[in-house]
Amino acid sequence: MAVATVETAAEPRRSWSRYRHPSSTIRFAVILGILAFLGWSIAFLNIDLSRVLGAFPRLAEILATRYFPPDVGYVTDADFIHSVVRTLEMSLLGGFFGVACSIPLAWLAARNITISRRIAYPFGRLAIMCSRSIHETIWTILFVTVLGFGMLAGTLALTVFCIGFAGKLFSDELEAIDMGPVEAMRSVGAGPLQVFQYAVLPQVRVAFTGIAIYTWDVAFRAATVVGFFGGGGMGWYLKRTTQQLESTRVAAILLVIIGLVLLAELGSGWLRKRIARMR
Amino acid sequence: MKHEAGIVEGRIARGLPRYEEEQVPVLDVRNLKVSYTSSGPQILKGINFSVDSSDFCAVIGPSGAGKSTLIRCVNRLVEPSEGEIVLFGQDVRALRGGELRRLRRRIGMIFQEFNLVNRMSVMDNVLSGRLGYTGPFRSFFKAFTREDIDRALHLLERVGLQDHVDKRADALSGGQRQRVGIARALMQKPEILLLDEPTSALDPKISRDVMGLIRELADEFKVPVLCNIHDVQLALETCNRIIGMQDGYKKFDGLAKGMQKRDLDEIYAMEVL
Repeated sequence: MAVATVETAAEPRRSWSRYRHPSSTIRFAVILGILAFLGWSIAFLNIDLSRVLGAFPRLAEILATRYFPPDVGYVTDADFIHSVVRTLEMSLLGGFFGVACSIPLAWLAARNITISRRIAYPFGRLAIMCSRSIHETIWTILFVTVLGFGMLAGTLALTVFCIGFAGKLFSDELEAIDMGPVEAMRSVGAGPLQVFQYAVLPQVRVAFTGIAIYTWDVAFRAATVVGFFGGGGMGWYLKRTTQQLESTRVAAILLVIIGLVLLAELGSGWLRKRIARMR
Repeated sequence: MKHEAGIVEGRIARGLPRYEEEQVPVLDVRNLKVSYTSSGPQILKGINFSVDSSDFCAVIGPSGAGKSTLIRCVNRLVEPSEGEIVLFGQDVRALRGGELRRLRRRIGMIFQEFNLVNRMSVMDNVLSGRLGYTGPFRSFFKAFTREDIDRALHLLERVGLQDHVDKRADALSGGQRQRVGIARALMQKPEILLLDEPTSALDPKISRDVMGLIRELADEFKVPVLCNIHDVQLALETCNRIIGMQDGYKKFDGLAKGMQKRDLDEIYAMEVL
């Protein structure tokens, strides 16, 4: 015992600090820099606080006087309901084709299981990134100029949008799989497709189903706007009524959109929860 | 089949003298070197050994000695950077795409973490051992042949899992899962078995059971085994030959019976404190 105490006394004093000079200093400097930039941006915007706060009562006033009461008769009209069904169809078709295309693309774009890292991986990545980088409204405008007004343009725009949206989530999910079974299937001499079907797909099937439903949910939200740019569906009515300043009708349409999106979200949330339990 | 050339034909094709089958090693590894990155450290630094058709060969050594890397080089789950691996008379390193897959289906492999597909049934996991022999159409619809299904049932009974055929793989215990792994490897009708730490994830009692079972089945199907294993005692009990590795070099190669304590001390020199 005596020896031990002598030894500890002889040892140099150990010191420990959470703050380590280069790394911690850099971290704090970065955080400070971001805050400074935010402060500068706000100052640059020259926000007049009283004007911002004053906007809310005015918004309420305008809503109360011009948009109230919503024109319920307009949205219960057969033509309008038909357009709602069209919107739903577009979102389902776009979601379906988008998901169908994005699964192989995600396979290529998943670094761990891609067919070739030199060619397939950058190709898959690029395809998904291109679909993502352009907003769905821009895609609609592009397809409308090529194909003309109507549902086809809208459906294609939604498909591309879904490829970007689902492809990214799918490939992230694929990159997180356990590589053990993949290795095992490769070692029995299985080909790439067999490895994908037997080792990869079972691991991601549940997550993919959830993502597919979520994709449809988001596609439906996008589908309500697609019509605004000539892609077909209820967005067209929104455009017409806003341009003709028929505010009570706009209010009714907006309420319908809010209601439907809410329903879609609740429905997809419920379904996804049910599916997650099957893991 | 043409691509499944016998050992003798393979040797003739390679310009080597024709031996009696028994005398030709199933696996012959010469001057094997591996580094995972071109600038990174060398994991294997020139390994030579061979495995005969009657061998149950254990590779032992401390963690990080390169045991796993060595085993994985044989079926090219790891790409060697230098040296020669001749398996069934074929140069493993020269094989590409389909040729490599046709070689791999003759090699059974059992893994440390079992590497089963957890969300598939035990039966499907075992059947997946036949994928190398199953065409794309059949495998897409999971329509394995009657013969394969019968073999799978027989093997499952042989490893004692006849009551768990339709359970999901993740519903089984560790020892049971490894038995599924064994059945899957045997589905391939392998001509050599590679075992990568098959018992490390199991408790000592079950480890012994599993190793005993593998030994028994290897004898029954007359399959040579190359097994990398952590538990020296278990290795000495089950294997007839030992290869000792340390830091990428082979330190010992000989019969399990002739192994002395000082041999072990040398292999594990770095770990003795």
